[in-house]
Amino acid sequence: MVRVENMHKRFNGKAVLNGVNMSVHKGEAVALIGPSGSGKTTLIRAINGFVVPDSGKVTVGGKGINYRNKESLRQTRKKIGMIYQLFNLVERTSVLENVMAGALGRLDRGVDFISSTIGFFSRQERGKALEILGFVDIADKAYERVDKLSGGQKQRVAIARALMQEPELLLADEPIANLDPKTSSNILELLLKINMEKGITLITVLHHLDSVMDNFGRCLPLKTETSILTAKHAPLPKNASMTFMNLKGRLNAWQRKSAFYKAGNWIFRVVPFYRHSGHFLQDVPSGYRDAV
Amino acid sequence: MSHLDIGTLFEGFASSISLVREMFPPDFARWEKIPPLAMETIAIGFWGTILGMLISFPLGFLSAKNTSGNIVLYNISKGLVNFLRAIPDILYALLFVVSIGMGAVAGVLALAFSTIGLLSKFYAEAVESIDTKPVEAIEATGGHSLSVIRHAVLPQVFPLFMGYNLYALDHNIRAAMMLGLVGAGGLGVELFFQMRSFNYQKAAAIIVIMFVIITVIDRVSAYLRNRIIEGTFLNKQNRIKDFSLLSIIFIITILSLYFIPVSFKEIAHGMPRIWEFLNSMFPPDFSDISSYVKLMAETVGMGISGTFIAVLISVPMGMLSARNMAHRPLIYNLMKEIANFFRAMPELMFALIFVAAVGLGPFAGVLVIAIHTAGFLGKFYAEAIENVDPKPVEAVEATGARFIQRIRHSVFPQVMPLFNSYNLYILDRNIRASTVMGIVGAGGIGFDLVMSMKLFEYQKTATLILIILFTVMLVDWLSSYLRKKVV
Ligand SMILES: Nc1ncnc2c1ncn2[C@@H]1O[C@H](COP(=O)(O)OP(=O)(O)O)[C@@H](O)[C@H]1O
Ligand SMILES: [Mg+2]
Repeated sequence: MVRVENMHKRFNGKAVLNGVNMSVHKGEAVALIGPSGSGKTTLIRAINGFVVPDSGKVTVGGKGINYRNKESLRQTRKKIGMIYQLFNLVERTSVLENVMAGALGRLDRGVDFISSTIGFFSRQERGKALEILGFVDIADKAYERVDKLSGGQKQRVAIARALMQEPELLLADEPIANLDPKTSSNILELLLKINMEKGITLITVLHHLDSVMDNFGRCLPLKTETSILTAKHAPLPKNASMTFMNLKGRLNAWQRKSAFYKAGNWIFRVVPFYRHSGHFLQDVPSGYRDAV
Repeated sequence: MSHLDIGTLFEGFASSISLVREMFPPDFARWEKIPPLAMETIAIGFWGTILGMLISFPLGFLSAKNTSGNIVLYNISKGLVNFLRAIPDILYALLFVVSIGMGAVAGVLALAFSTIGLLSKFYAEAVESIDTKPVEAIEATGGHSLSVIRHAVLPQVFPLFMGYNLYALDHNIRAAMMLGLVGAGGLGVELFFQMRSFNYQKAAAIIVIMFVIITVIDRVSAYLRNRIIEGTFLNKQNRIKDFSLLSIIFIITILSLYFIPVSFKEIAHGMPRIWEFLNSMFPPDFSDISSYVKLMAETVGMGISGTFIAVLISVPMGMLSARNMAHRPLIYNLMKEIANFFRAMPELMFALIFVAAVGLGPFAGVLVIAIHTAGFLGKFYAEAIENVDPKPVEAVEATGARFIQRIRHSVFPQVMPLFNSYNLYILDRNIRASTVMGIVGAGGIGFDLVMSMKLFEYQKTATLILIILFTVMLVDWLSSYLRKKVV
């Protein structure tokens, strides 16, 4: 689904991404974790074109991203939903209006384009938005102003906006960094539920390894199709595995938990569960399980 | 007003542009007449402001709830301030010219009065919003109420007062440029004369001088205001620069006195004449009231249509002057300068030009209001757009929306409440402005006002002023009520 090949990016002469390779399969849920400043945001924003890499190639759904051509970039973005740490909602308007904005990319032609630009959406689209609000469990707030909502509720609205795009891929940049622990785990659960039930590929940046361990560990669906993973007694990796990505190049070997905390210049790639691929599984080191 | 349509509107702008072409190149011959008039203009602006400041100082405290001390006094002062504020400066100038005669003194007095209305209200608002803790502390020591004001209130409001004073100065310099239209001194007289004699190139030279003076004072005042707000005024790094600026201002103020032929004898002589004049206005003559009301309606219509056109011009103009929309410095800086020119030049100057271009009548007035306030709104809109939260804008871009959809669904909802509030504010000021357009024949009730004075029908003048006052106060109240609702 997403393939990043040998990506380099410098800011003011400082190398932030230095030959990063990453591939994420269709339907996978992947968390990128690492210390702040390690380039997680830069990497994820290169996938929907808000950062233009100095070199390297990104393909989404088999199609290479053309950073120069605005129209083709827009077409790529239509398929990619983005979720932010600070929700990035229009605070003064209603929940429903914010969710409707997610449909704009799809409504970019003919009558749909004109009416959406004026501010009118078809009954069908509105119905869809309400349905999605129901799915993310915030239907009762549809007509409230966003600035009246709590952080967790705002993030649900932002997720609904992304779903309104009918995306194939969801990117999330620290979606729980501004939320309390309880809300954080609810939002992570919601993202994983979307990944599972709708089959939308998920790449999420998470800041703290702890929250990944706790939340991903707890919300792991015990009865996934990936039955080979349900080694019943191992806490986290029973259907999850972890690997980390070296900024200097490629996917590295498995490490002990303690290594995560020492890590200076690493981005960790956490694969909480598998549905379509198993190739990481063979690499799960026994030492890693011990450490958890 | 019913014949106002897109066609005539474009024709109007087109003939104005061809008139502006005739103004080039500006003709600076007979230059020796200009400097004294320019100095007189500056003198009127400065001394009107100073006089106004001196009177506003006690009046501001008297009309502030927390320092007035006496509820009756408070209500009287507040009523007086609101009354003074509702009368446009050029109208004061007319009244003084008629009662004490032509000249710079009438101009200074006119600006002093309009400044009192402006500053007393600002002062009172500043005083009402102070921190009450230091006040209580001084009261607890058993201090006299004047010493409370001196030691607890004044230190808190002083920087604000200074900022307002500079704003008033800025405002008054512009106003002083146009007082000459009614004979109250300054460059306006010469501009009026040259426009009347079709010497458009000479008129252009005067406009250039006006623009230079306005721009210099605008920049200096903005610089000092920023310093005062930041609290860096006269601090170590800027002491020499700030001090020399202050000295220059002081020297100009004193020197400019030379250009106001003040004769205290004359003023003393003029005072009873003001009284006589006011007396001759009573009782107001209401016989023509229905035609006056109709005129007032036309005047309000001018303000509304002018505002409407200004909004239409300002939306694209504001977008093009916003750094985060236009992206190219050449475009947004150029657009900002254009907006600034329209905003900075006095609207009666535009009125002279438009009347020359499209003829007498309300159409010229509508164009003036549209152009002048498109400058204001263009600037305000651009600032609002530059201050939008970029986060939702990016989020909507990330959905693959087109540019115009992004503007509509992420920028628009953020700036709309601000735009509405600016529009209401501008509508309010434009209805005020439309009442004086008639002074140069650009339509509305101002023309009849001037005529009634020229014909010594002061009782009719009184009625017209009452109608203007009533409308202006009503619109002011309505606008501030609505503004509270939209924000
Ligand atoms: N637009 C930018 N301009 C300059 N430096 C940037 C920019 N974006 C990111 N950086 C720098 O790149 C490094 C990585 O940033 P980022 O990708 O945000 O890291 P992370 O999300 O892992 O905390 C940081 O040192 C940051 O200062
Ligand atoms: Mg980041």
